[in-house]
Formats: sequence, structure tokens, C-alpha cells
Amino acid sequence: MADETLLEILKRRGISRRGFLKFCAATTSLLALPPSMAVAVADSLGRLKRPAVIWLSFQECTGCTESLTRAHSPSIESLIFDAISLDYHHTLQAASGHAAEEAREHSMKADWGKYLLIVDGSIPLKDGGAYSTIAGISNLQMLQEAAAGAAAIVAIGTCAAFGGLPHAQPNPTGAVAVSDIIKDKPIINVPGCPPVPAVMVGVLAHYLTFGSLPDLDDLGRPRAFYGESIHDRCYRRPFYDQGKFAKTFDDAGARDGWCLFELGCKGPTTHNACATTKWNGGTSWPVQSGHGCIGCSEPDFWDAGGFYKALSTPVDSVTGAAAAAVAVGAAAGVAIGIANRQRKAQARAEHQTVTIEDLEK
Amino acid sequence: MSSLKDIGVHVVHVGGNGNARAVLREVENLLQKLVEKGEESSIDLSGLPLSAEDYDLLEETLGEGEVVAEVHSLGPTRIHETGVPGVWWVTHYNDEDEVLAEFIEVAWCPEILLAPEDDVKDGLEALRARLFELKQESNHG
Amino acid sequence: MSAMELLLWARGPGLGIAVAIFLFGMTLRLFEIYSLGRKTDLAAPRSPTPGSGWRTVFSRSLPYQGTWHRSGLTVITGFVFHIGLFIVLLFLLPHIKLIHSLTGLSWPALPTSLVDLVTVLTLIALLVVLVHRLMDPVKRLLSGFGDYLAWAVTFLPLLTGYMAYHHLLLDYTLLLALHILSAELLLVVFPFTKLTHTFTLFIARWYNGDIAARKGVAS
Repeated sequence: MADETLLEILKRRGISRRGFLKFCAATTSLLALPPSMAVAVADSLGRLKRPAVIWLSFQECTGCTESLTRAHSPSIESLIFDAISLDYHHTLQAASGHAAEEAREHSMKADWGKYLLIVDGSIPLKDGGAYSTIAGISNLQMLQEAAAGAAAIVAIGTCAAFGGLPHAQPNPTGAVAVSDIIKDKPIINVPGCPPVPAVMVGVLAHYLTFGSLPDLDDLGRPRAFYGESIHDRCYRRPFYDQGKFAKTFDDAGARDGWCLFELGCKGPTTHNACATTKWNGGTSWPVQSGHGCIGCSEPDFWDAGGFYKALSTPVDSVTGAAAAAVAVGAAAGVAIGIANRQRKAQARAEHQTVTIEDLEK
Repeated sequence: MSSLKDIGVHVVHVGGNGNARAVLREVENLLQKLVEKGEESSIDLSGLPLSAEDYDLLEETLGEGEVVAEVHSLGPTRIHETGVPGVWWVTHYNDEDEVLAEFIEVAWCPEILLAPEDDVKDGLEALRARLFELKQESNHG
Repeated sequence: MSAMELLLWARGPGLGIAVAIFLFGMTLRLFEIYSLGRKTDLAAPRSPTPGSGWRTVFSRSLPYQGTWHRSGLTVITGFVFHIGLFIVLLFLLPHIKLIHSLTGLSWPALPTSLVDLVTVLTLIALLVVLVHRLMDPVKRLLSGFGDYLAWAVTFLPLLTGYMAYHHLLLDYTLLLALHILSAELLLVVFPFTKLTHTFTLFIARWYNGDIAARKGVAS
């Protein structure tokens, strides 16, 4: 069973080669590969043996899983049940309690060094990691054990990729990202709060299809999906260039679809696929629905100075510092002024009048 | 009680962004390749930023042809030949009728319509087995 | 430190530090300069002086015939980069938003493409000015470290802003961070270089005009 290829599994389930061809075409499209690559995709997917996948959830809100289960193409059911062997996932698996943990340990042992580890949620380090435990095991310990036998790790969501919401100031649990702990395994960061479903599936599909890591940027994000900024791919971009900006969320400019920069859109500094892939099967995305990008696929987006503050404005108020600086500057200026006047007065006082007699001495 | 319809929605038509024309030019090139060299190819529509207007322009320009076909495997796949023979519009759906992928194929016949050789061989075996069964039945009957 | 962390530092603590140093320095310098005072001129003025100081403030903005002939290039590039600087600084929307958030003042922005064009002209003018400073023996002799520093901190914000807008060489987030940092460097250096002429220029001109008039050469 475990040695069956994907093609054989599909065949056993009564799906023809036409169905397989269609699956490959959809996968190729999802990976943003040219249609001519479909043959290569079909070739590698046909020979693919279902890799074991272990999914660990730490300090998270299950939003990433919610998002993933709403992926449209290729339908997640087919991906999960046909292409991968999901051996452990708190939320999706039927088993619970000790049985679930046994399944995880069994899978780790059986596929040591070969399984794909998916992590969502950040890992708390403060007070010995006491803030989040599963079956009495701290998140840190579970991650280190599972990572040791993983072929690669996918950090799903901004929490796992960059620390996310738990990492926001003042970070009470000492939350960190997967990449802060694991240094010796390849890590693919798939940030977003939550990530675009198609992007999550796309990253998994790429790994399954080619058995290798996609091309990553300096933050460990796949370039295929995070290579361009929201601003550069935004359909409202022409209005930015023309200087047409919505001033409030309900003015005439907002209704005419003008640029949301003034209303705090973080599109220029955010890299994600929202503007092209969109959400809910291509229905819409935040900027299209009239709200600026909040930059959720970037590190520290919670502490980036307010979702409704324009990108060019200060994160913190500088009024206090400015007032203090003016006061200190004025005081110092007055002090120097007084010192200068005293020097002048002293020079006058020390001035000795020279008389003709003095000169003739 | 107010309904959703009572909420004023201002629909803005931003117009095509010119990508439909680019796709049509590409179709022209691919079709020429098919005619001259017999090379088949396709364009992935889901990867292109097409506005609704662009989409309409694309559909209008290519038009409707003679062939309409549907394949049922992993959800329906609907195919029609456009008004330009050799240019096929192929849309893959999943079981919930959501679009998985959409292509314009430039080919003598879309690949998914051709019976795969391995399936034909399997079919031949299955048919022979069925004929054998029938023969047995008539012998015993 | 990632580009985003650098950007957040530049928009947060960095800006606070730069604004504080700038305001501290400028207040100090202005208090220092003006508290020096001037001796009361006891002599009766040769010609009626009212208005002469004010007229000089404007008349000195136009080059004399002789200056124009001697160094037309300096005059033209000087005008281009000064006016360009003001347009880019005051009429690009992100800048207006910054000024609005700091002072509450706001006005309409110019189209980004126009500001972009002005930026190119300003950059060219600044480069010409630098080359001329290096080539011309008199200018080179007169120039010290402070002059080149003032040029550099004026040039860098324009260059990084232009590069950020056009996505040249580096990632936008990093370029935006560098752009803001370079502007903060300008603020920090400002009170302690000849850049203070922004605040002292017109007052100095007023004094020049007024004193000249008292001596009988009213403008």
C-alpha cells in the first residue's frame, strides 16, 4: 500500500488517466508553470509515492487550517487523500489523546528522515516553554524531536514563519518562529494571516511534484508566490501614479476605487499573492473589497504602527521628543547667549582706555 | 426589513487592461505554428490578469464553434471549439463545479478528448473478458 | 535585522531621534545667533530705510547681470535643484502625509509622475553642481568637508526615493527604509552645516538690505 504510486492509487479508485491528466493540468496551473510543463508534472506525480506528512500546531488560532480546508484547486481532498499521507493533524485527524500521539510517534519512526513536517503557530520559550504544551510535551521539545527526522519543514502562517501575533510586543510568552529554533533543516516559510489557500496547496504541490524546495527569497518565502509586492500587482496602482487617493472609506474616491495609501494600505512593503490569486476561489481580496492591505505576510506586522496609518508616517508620536528637544535647545541657546553677553560685558569692563600720555611713556 | 438589494452598490467598470489583445496575438502565433509545423500548445488563462471586460472581449472575438464536449473524470471538464477551428476552450471543474483551471488549447483535438493508449488496452481486455463471460453464459444457458 | 525591522526602526525611534536632534540643534543655533544682537546704530540714516530690507530679500533672489554672465551654469543648476527640492519635498503625497501627521497641516499633492520627472531634473542638477565644484579651481579651493557632506545628505534622500519608486537594484522595503534613514541623516546634519542657510538666509538678506540703505544705497 505504502509503495503504491499516485497513479496506481487513482486507478484503484476508478479514476482514469484522463482524470490524472486533468489533475496534472490543474497542478501545473497552480504552480504557475507553463502548460508545456504538464508532461513533466504528470511524469513525476505518476511516479510519486505518497510521502508522510506530520502537521504540528503550536501557538495558533487554527485560522491557517481553516484557510487550507477552503482551498479550491486542486481540491484539498484529492491532494490530502491521494497525494500525501497526513499522519498527524490535531484538528483534522479522527484519533485523539494518546492514540493521536502514538500515531505521530509511529509515523516519525516509520518514515524517519523522509517525512515532511508542517508547522503552524509560534513556539513559546519563556519559563521553559510552559505556555503551550500538548500531551504534557512542550512545543519546543515536540518541534525539536519532529524536526530531527524531517526531510524539510514548511512553516505555515505568519506565527510559524515570523512569530506573528504571539510575538507582538510585549511578547508575554517569549514566542519565536520555527526558523529561530531549527537551523539545520530546509525551511519553507509560507506566511500570511492566514496564507492564501492556493499558495499553501501550491507550495505543498511543488514539494510533492519535484521533491525539492522552491526558489526562496531572503525571508524563506517561495518567490513564485511572494516575489512581487501587493502594490505592484494591485489593480488600483494606476490611481497611485495619478495621485488619486481615497481620503476616507466612504468618500467618492473610495467608491471609484482610488488608491488606499492614505488610509494606511501596506501594499508597497508587502509581498504576497493576494492581488493575483485572490481569495475564495478568485472572488475578491481585501483591497478589492475596499480595505487597505495590513501587511500580514511580513514580519512584525502587528507592531508596524497601526493598520490605518499611511506608510510614510511615524510609527510612534514624536511630539514629546520634539517639544523636549525645542525646550532643551532653547535653554541651551539662551545659556550660550547669556555667556556670550557676559563675555562681551567682561571685555568692555576690562577695556583700558589708552591716553596720549600712555603712548608717550 | 431591508434586504441586501437595498444597499446601494456603485459598480465601476474600469475597462479592459489590454491583456485580451495580447492573448489573442498569442493565439494567432500558436495557430500559425500548428498549421506550419503541426505543433500543439496551450495558454493557461488562470495565470493571466484578465479583467471581466478582457474576458468578454476574448470570448466574443474567438466566438462559438461546432463542437461541444464534456469529460467526466474528477469532476466535469467542459470543452468547446471556438469559432476559430483548432482553437479550443477547455475548462476543468471539480465536483463542486468550481473552476480548477482554464486553458485555451491550440490543437487538432484537445488531448483530454483522446482515449489514452493504456486505457484503450485495459478496455480491450475488459471487453474480451466480458465476451468470454457471455460465451460461457450462452453455453450453459 | 530584516528590511522590515530597519523600516520600522526608521519610522519609529529613528525618526524621533532625528527630529529631536534637528529641533534641538536649530533652536540652539537660532537662539545663539540672534541673542548676539547688534549694536544700536546711533548715526542718522542717509536715506529712508523702511522696506529696503524686505525688498532685498526678494531682489537678491535674481542674479545680477554680471553673475549671470560669469557663472550662468551655477545660477541655472542652483535654481533647478532648489525649486526641484521644494516640489519633491512638499508635493509628493507620502511626504504630505508625513507633514500632516507631524503638524496637522495638509494640502493637495501633485501627480506622482510629475514629481518623478522633477526628481530626475533635480538629481541631474545636483550632479552638475558637484562636478562643477570639483572641476572649477576656485570652487574646489573654497570647498571643505562640510560642503561635500551637505551635498551628499541632500543628494541621498532624492536618489534613494527615486530608486525605491522605480524598484532599482534593491527590494522596495529596504530602499524605503534607506530613503527614510537618509532623510533622517539630513535632519541630523542640518543644524551643524551650511544647510542652516534655509533658516538664516532671508534674515541675513534683510539685515544686508537694511544696513546698506542706512549707508545710502537703498535697494
